[in-house]
Amino acid sequence: MRRQLFILPFLLLALAFKSGNSPQDYKVSSGSISFRSDAPLELIKAQSSELKGLVLPEKKQFAFIINVKTFKGFNSPLQQEHFNENYMESNKFPVASFEGKIIEDIDFTKDGEYSVRSKGNLNIHGVVQERIIKCDVIIKNKNISIWSTFTVLLADHNIPIPKVVHEKLASEIKVDVKAELAIK
Amino acid sequence: MLLIKKIPLVLLLITGINCAAQFAGSRSFKLLDDNRPFKINTLFKTREGYIYAGTTNGLYSFDGKNFKLINTNTPAIKDTVTAVFEDNRSQIWVGYKSGRLAKKTKSLLQYFEPEEGTPKVAITAFLQDKQNNIWFATNGEGIYYFYNSHLYLINEEEGLSDKYVHALALAANGDVLAATDQGINICSINGANKKIDVLGPKNGLPDYYITAIQPAGNNSFLIGLQEKGFCFYNHSNKQITIPAAAGNWNYGQVNALLYTQNNVWIATEANGLMKLPDAATAAAADFITSTNKNNINNLLQDNEGNIWMTTTSELISTAGDKLNLLPIYDKAVYETIHTILSDYQNNIWAGTDGGIIKYTRSANQWTSRLYPIKGLTSFTDITGLYQDMYHNIWLSTMGEGIFVVDPVTGKYRNISENPLLKKASILSITGTGNTVCAGGLEGVATIFQLSELNVTINANYTFTNYDSIPNVGNNYIHTVFKDSKGRIWFGTDGKGITVLEKGRFKHFDKTNGLKDEHVYSFTEDKKGCIWFNTKDAGVYCYNDTVFKNFGAAQGISDLKITTIKTDRLGNLIIVNENGIDILDPVTGTIAYINNNQGITGVNTAIESVCTDIAGNILLSTENGILVYTPSAKNILRPKTIIDNIQLFLKEIDPVTDHHFKYDENSFTFNFTGLYYTNPEQVHYQYKLEGLDTSWVSTKDQSIPFPNLRPGKYVFHVRSSLNDNFNNADEVTYTFVIETPFWKRIWFIILSILIVGGLLYWYMKSREKHLNKMQLLHQEKVEFQFQVLRNQVNPHFLFNSFNTLISTIEDNPKAAVDYVEQLSEFFRNIVNYRDKDVISLGEELQLMNTYFYLQQKRYGNSLVLKIDISDQLKKDCFVPPLTLQLLVENAIKHNAVSKESILSIHLYTETDSRLLISNNINPKISPEKGTGMGLQNIINRYNILSENSVLVNTENGHFTVSLPILKK
Repeated sequence: MRRQLFILPFLLLALAFKSGNSPQDYKVSSGSISFRSDAPLELIKAQSSELKGLVLPEKKQFAFIINVKTFKGFNSPLQQEHFNENYMESNKFPVASFEGKIIEDIDFTKDGEYSVRSKGNLNIHGVVQERIIKCDVIIKNKNISIWSTFTVLLADHNIPIPKVVHEKLASEIKVDVKAELAIK
Repeated sequence: MLLIKKIPLVLLLITGINCAAQFAGSRSFKLLDDNRPFKINTLFKTREGYIYAGTTNGLYSFDGKNFKLINTNTPAIKDTVTAVFEDNRSQIWVGYKSGRLAKKTKSLLQYFEPEEGTPKVAITAFLQDKQNNIWFATNGEGIYYFYNSHLYLINEEEGLSDKYVHALALAANGDVLAATDQGINICSINGANKKIDVLGPKNGLPDYYITAIQPAGNNSFLIGLQEKGFCFYNHSNKQITIPAAAGNWNYGQVNALLYTQNNVWIATEANGLMKLPDAATAAAADFITSTNKNNINNLLQDNEGNIWMTTTSELISTAGDKLNLLPIYDKAVYETIHTILSDYQNNIWAGTDGGIIKYTRSANQWTSRLYPIKGLTSFTDITGLYQDMYHNIWLSTMGEGIFVVDPVTGKYRNISENPLLKKASILSITGTGNTVCAGGLEGVATIFQLSELNVTINANYTFTNYDSIPNVGNNYIHTVFKDSKGRIWFGTDGKGITVLEKGRFKHFDKTNGLKDEHVYSFTEDKKGCIWFNTKDAGVYCYNDTVFKNFGAAQGISDLKITTIKTDRLGNLIIVNENGIDILDPVTGTIAYINNNQGITGVNTAIESVCTDIAGNILLSTENGILVYTPSAKNILRPKTIIDNIQLFLKEIDPVTDHHFKYDENSFTFNFTGLYYTNPEQVHYQYKLEGLDTSWVSTKDQSIPFPNLRPGKYVFHVRSSLNDNFNNADEVTYTFVIETPFWKRIWFIILSILIVGGLLYWYMKSREKHLNKMQLLHQEKVEFQFQVLRNQVNPHFLFNSFNTLISTIEDNPKAAVDYVEQLSEFFRNIVNYRDKDVISLGEELQLMNTYFYLQQKRYGNSLVLKIDISDQLKKDCFVPPLTLQLLVENAIKHNAVSKESILSIHLYTETDSRLLISNNINPKISPEKGTGMGLQNIINRYNILSENSVLVNTENGHFTVSLPILKK
């Protein structure tokens, strides 16, 4: 089940990139993810601008995916190494993704600002969690801008916190997502 | 009566009676603002008992009299409340039409938004599951639940049959049942794993559209349907049961359901509120309905058993299960009822002017049967009815004695075997077991002992007549009563009580404390105490030793008491013209059911009240026969609640705030005695322990205590329906106002110690200073004396004059200088005499003058060398004549001649000491000195400086080292 869910965003992306889809589908033109963990002893933060994703307005479906190894901007190379090897195990779980459906009905053809919630599966560290994520959406000239902030509980995704660094890692990670989407 | 004669005795008159009936005690409340009513969307009762109304204008609390708006933290947002809930930590949750969520903190609603956001559609219901997670249903987005600090959504993706969810209910196994437009959805959640089963028409549900789900005991639920009425769903065996009554539903949509002790209550769109007793088996005909209002919503039972509902613009309450007006309405008959009886089959017998009538219920249809009795006319008063252990009916009459009737055949006979009863006027007929008791005019009192022979009415009865009871004579006997201990009680009209116990009569009257000797009826409570009511003095309780009176002071509402009965729960039912008082014999608490609950015009005939086999009380009233159903839900006292506590009009948290600073001292307590049955009747007593010593009675619900002094306080408040507060519900709030720190004992002691210490130090230092001053003064005087003595000593003058003489001869001009110097010297001595210190410069000048005078004498044999900076001369001070004296000493104690030159050297050492040193030229005959001069210098320096004077004789030098004094 987990494995299936794990590959779902890839399928969706693959599907979307094939021809024959609705011309109204949107693709991320530029997107970034940053996260920060305000642990008592050490602030860990990093960002990546390699966010990929799709929104299919007709089906109210979407998928976003990020290569975990593309996160940069750690305090030290050692921190990055720990992030990839100890916590995220990015060799084993190279991507993080969120795919699902938009709860609200919004008209993507109409310019405006919307607050939208989406219900989907958040896959981090190979563990899928169903989540509702709220985001702000601005639609202008058939371009979509999305901002979202949400938290990830490390325990939800089986991300181990070694006792020694317990103080270094907050049990909650704050994630900021920014994406610009345009019709493919 | 003519007719009756002509037809056989067994002729029965049977009539069907109209079943229309109203619910007893309907009261209606409107929530108005500027005369515009708000719609109440939802009703909710907290565990404490408060009713909340969610309206188009926000959330209101309702205390039975007034609606009070609960403010929100953002008053600008006007939102419609669509759901209210209290979780098991007493946290109130509110859901809005906009999808907003709020929680109540103290008296304020705080909007909050989870990270996941809030729905965009109305919140319809809340629920707390077995893991204490909070769920809420929406009208269009499905069901949300909080789990592990995230919010999860159940919608069609998980298999929810419809996103429009109207109600939620929790099953015994932890499943959540959701009422949707498309059947019942059974949600089994394990963490984030969701499993949804849909229960629809293919499972036997009569309707797709589910409007309501209400728990109905034993994991069974009442299901409200849009078109097909209602049904039962049992979650244990997944069975759906459609009651016969709902078989052919044509009363419109069911908006709400309620399952109470005795009934199923159904709020309908088209047929008002409907009540169905024995819902599982009842037929449609059994519905009791109130048809004057439609579109009933939101059923709720308060803690006193009242049923509440809403219409479009009103909140309505009814007496609920506790009062039922039997739907047998025959006004002509009711007006002539003297006595009623509920028999062992729950048939109701009425003794009327027209004879005795039996009312029998089958389904919801009541039929009546008249039992004609020859010899009774419409002028014959039937005073009492009694059913004996063989089910035969006894009736007592005025002037015609006692008849006994076989209820099956209708056959009857007059009890003629007892001559005392012939044409007698009997006032009451009671009994227990095999005993039947009758009492009447002229002291008639008869006890019948039934035997097996008396199964039929034909056999003669065995009886004992008590026609010559001592102290009673030919007075009326209102009632005869046999108690559980076998004693027989006779209540008389004016002669008190006589009791027959083990063959002996005992009499009780004024001398035993009875204020009234007219005794109307007896009853016995569960503890075996005998209760009776009197004509004017209320009721009495006799516990085999004393008579305890309950009158107006104890809370009896009306002293004109008709009769007294014991109900199923053991409470005393005291009947008066306007209703009943319910007295708890254990606590003495009295509650009232009267006009406010729908009782009016109670028949005042003593025997017009009876108890049925279930222990319910039947009253004959102007509106028909009313049944009072005792229930543990019918609480007899108001629930006291401290609504909020304010400190300087700002609300505090009564759970956490108990300690206040000395200036936080003005409190206001707002409280409510919740009693929805009759809120106007609630009285309060309060006491602020620490300030008041006794209880203060009030009707106010807000009591301010301004400017309280520091101390420990306990606020007590209790509420009661009458002036009897003995068993009143009491709540307390303990708080402490701290003593300001300057009034605390440690501070006072510390202050005293510090002040004392300072004073001590001051005095000590002053004393020291004074001593020093005195010493200085003394030294100074001694020194002056010494100096003067030295200078006016004849040697000095003699030597000076000799020098002068020799100079005058050689050099008169120099002599003039000499004299000038000499006078300068003496003038300076006089000038500096009174000073403690003078500058070093001044002293050096003085010393130079002296030296000049001496040098004239010794010439070059005397050398003075001064190595002192000009700066030091200005900054440095010495006691006057110190250096002079030391130079003088040097000259005095040493030989001065050309062979032995005396060289005096004055210099400083590291700016802190002034040294005066001379070489030692011992004299052949040493000068005898007092040593006082040097000692005096040492003493003075000891007072003026911390450093002392050092004197030493080394390497042939005599050196005095003085500490340098600086200002």
